[in-house]
Amino acid sequence: MNLDRYTCLETVRRLDDYLDRELSERETIEVERHLEVCDRCLARFRFEGAVLDQLRGKLRRVSVPDSLVVRLRGALRLP
Amino acid sequence: MAYAGDGGTPAAGAPHERASDQEFETMLVAILDSAYRLALRLTGESGDAEDLVQEAALRAFRFRHTFQRGTSFKAWFYRIVVNQFYTTTRRKHVTTTPLDELTDAHDIFMYARSAEAGLLPAAADPSDGVIARMAEDDVARALASLPEEFRTVATLYFMDDLSYQEIADILDVPIGTVRSRLHRGRHMLQKQLWRIAEELGIVTRSDTQRGDA
Repeated sequence: MNLDRYTCLETVRRLDDYLDRELSERETIEVERHLEVCDRCLARFRFEGAVLDQLRGKLRRVSVPDSLVVRLRGALRLP
Repeated sequence: MAYAGDGGTPAAGAPHERASDQEFETMLVAILDSAYRLALRLTGESGDAEDLVQEAALRAFRFRHTFQRGTSFKAWFYRIVVNQFYTTTRRKHVTTTPLDELTDAHDIFMYARSAEAGLLPAAADPSDGVIARMAEDDVARALASLPEEFRTVATLYFMDDLSYQEIADILDVPIGTVRSRLHRGRHMLQKQLWRIAEELGIVTRSDTQRGDA
């Protein structure tokens, strides 16, 4: 056992920050070292990443309505 | 992450110079889609979202001299959208859904429930997961049901590729506040999504109760 590695608990605590690329370089490496050897945590991380991707996909599927563009052109006298 | 994509990149030209009217218009048009998406998820209604973007655009135009080149126009405009939204909703009566037990500390709620319900997607393929089976409006409804301070952070997070620091700058709150609200907000969102999935029959209550046991 390598005591330098993060435990599952320490890794999962950093899940959100890791997925958002908000960890320090050192912490990122430590998380990835754990994921290399822990299939359970890897499955969790993949699941959470997929959930976030799906939510972004569903929530972003919107285009600005033409009516707003027309209103703005009038209001701001855009060309 | 830097502001990727159209209009998100800092305006060209010498830093701290003012943008011309022409540049202002170009930058505004370039981010209109994403600004409207943000407004739609903040207000929850397309008419209100159009009004919000128009009010923000007029306000931004009036104060265009305060935008500095070399900074992100998108972040500057989002800030105006969010502030305008707060101003408008303070005038109206805001109804928030009571979330009672939805404010648990962080854990991987949906993963645990999906596993218990036998709905974990095979391997890394999420196409048969719970969210994939939900309509866009149902997902938007779950987001809209979060208490306001969590909803605003989560909306900025989901609607654009912003860093925690960029969200903090837009909302004028410390980065630690963004982090904690976002992490808790995501957890609440997963619970709300699961609840809606139950309503829709995507997961059955017996799946969930089995998970509770």
